[in-house]
Amino acid sequence: MRKVAIVGTGMTKWGVRAATYREIVQEVGKDLFDEVPNLEKRDVDSLFVGSALVDRLAFQAYPAPLVAEQLGLTPTRLAMRTEMACVSGQSAIRVAYASIACGLSDVAVVVGAEKMNIPSMPEIQSSMACVLDREWDGVNGLNAPPYFALVAQRHMHEYGTTEEQLAEVSVKNHDYAATNPYAHFPKRVTKEKVLGSPKIAPPLKLLDCSGITDGAAAVLMTHGDAARRYTDTPVFIEGLGQSQSGSLVVNLENLTTWNPLKRAAAEAFRMAGVTIHDMDLAETHDCFTISEIMEYEDLGLCEKGKGGEFVMDGQSRIGGELPTNLRGGLLGCGHPLGATGVAQAIEVVRQFRAQVPEERSVGGEWGLCHNLSGNANNHAVMILHRGS
Amino acid sequence: MGEPHEMHFAFDFYPLQSQEHTRIWPFFENLKHGRLTTTKCRNCASILWQPRVVCPRCNHDGMEWIDLPATGRVFAFTAVYAGAPLGMEKDVPFVIAIVELEGSPMKVVARIDDVGYEDLKIGDAVRLKVIDLAGGRVWFRFLPAR
Repeated sequence: MRKVAIVGTGMTKWGVRAATYREIVQEVGKDLFDEVPNLEKRDVDSLFVGSALVDRLAFQAYPAPLVAEQLGLTPTRLAMRTEMACVSGQSAIRVAYASIACGLSDVAVVVGAEKMNIPSMPEIQSSMACVLDREWDGVNGLNAPPYFALVAQRHMHEYGTTEEQLAEVSVKNHDYAATNPYAHFPKRVTKEKVLGSPKIAPPLKLLDCSGITDGAAAVLMTHGDAARRYTDTPVFIEGLGQSQSGSLVVNLENLTTWNPLKRAAAEAFRMAGVTIHDMDLAETHDCFTISEIMEYEDLGLCEKGKGGEFVMDGQSRIGGELPTNLRGGLLGCGHPLGATGVAQAIEVVRQFRAQVPEERSVGGEWGLCHNLSGNANNHAVMILHRGS
Repeated sequence: MGEPHEMHFAFDFYPLQSQEHTRIWPFFENLKHGRLTTTKCRNCASILWQPRVVCPRCNHDGMEWIDLPATGRVFAFTAVYAGAPLGMEKDVPFVIAIVELEGSPMKVVARIDDVGYEDLKIGDAVRLKVIDLAGGRVWFRFLPAR
């Protein structure tokens, strides 16, 4: 198998954008292509589009040809959409990896893009409820916030996790988002503000939840031998793992331990030949504050049930055990579903290239990206290494 | 042909329930009679939620209907204060729970009516409630078993 590198990055401003799906796609293409002047578009043989709810929220099925046309690309090897709800972005990178590693593709563009904001919030929420099993879970009014509220309540019940500990995740991630001009919410918040924010699904409040956000992120990927045609600082994908567990909420293996995350991480670390303790930074899927607390635990950064203490002790800040979600996470950046996994990888790449603001710069050699989807029944972990 | 809907079909969460639309129509017929049921595989005896037409464990396609307990206990719960899907936005706040069925390893997700978030605890007893929907359809919720 060939080595595979990320050699270019592109971002748009994330937020409630006065722009359509195709306009956001054009913006991210410009940002990517401007960064890699050595790229000839005719050399891009493959295109992977991570868009989760484009059918329901942009009323557009079959987005890959549309994206190709907006970007001026004419793929000749493999073009497709990768849909795995909130993991659609990392899925696009993984499929590009597989295609390049095996020699089918040489140069691939990966776009994660989502237009989430439409005038009717209940319609958005209906579409989000369909990410769960619509007929048996969504039908009860369950969508992401109440589902993760059930998880949070059980975690508090079983391990004594507190609302203050949940709030600290939001405070930390907003602190870092304040350094990120692409973020939807680039503004610090206090613990009191998080705790006093409007009830969404108790124990979760508004500032425990990631936002409904429009935005895109894109990367250029190629094989190891071609990487330096496009950049002096390629970033290599060294490990990948993905694992699932059921679909219906009641059929998950466990509500408060994410076994699929443990399995996905073990597989990614085994493939890369490293451990969690070799990581210099991590991007984990903080769709809700409780998620990040469970990710510390299930990635093995602390004992089970001690994730709340881990964040309170500053272990996931710069200077702690593992700086986590330095771009601001989903809580600070918002969560345009298909774009999130791509933007996580971009943060690691730009950290390695020292292209992020000083306040959140850690540099480093090894980075972890973790993306989860649905009712946390699917977890994907990717290990990135700075090319020497 | 179809059954009448209150909403555009793509936004109506409740399944089509009659024999012309689904092979698990007995589930809905049983529910109309106050019975919560699911399928049991006639070959390997697997009892699964939700009802199946093929057993994912042994690949057998012969199923029998069995009754599930109509009472249970709250395993976890929350309430939707904001962000309800279309058609449910006027119901807020409403309680959603994972209910452990009494004397059974089976759990189901359902709304709990007639109780506020602040008045419910993990472990509280609940009992089945059947609600009537447009077009003669039904669905299940639970009530505090006071």
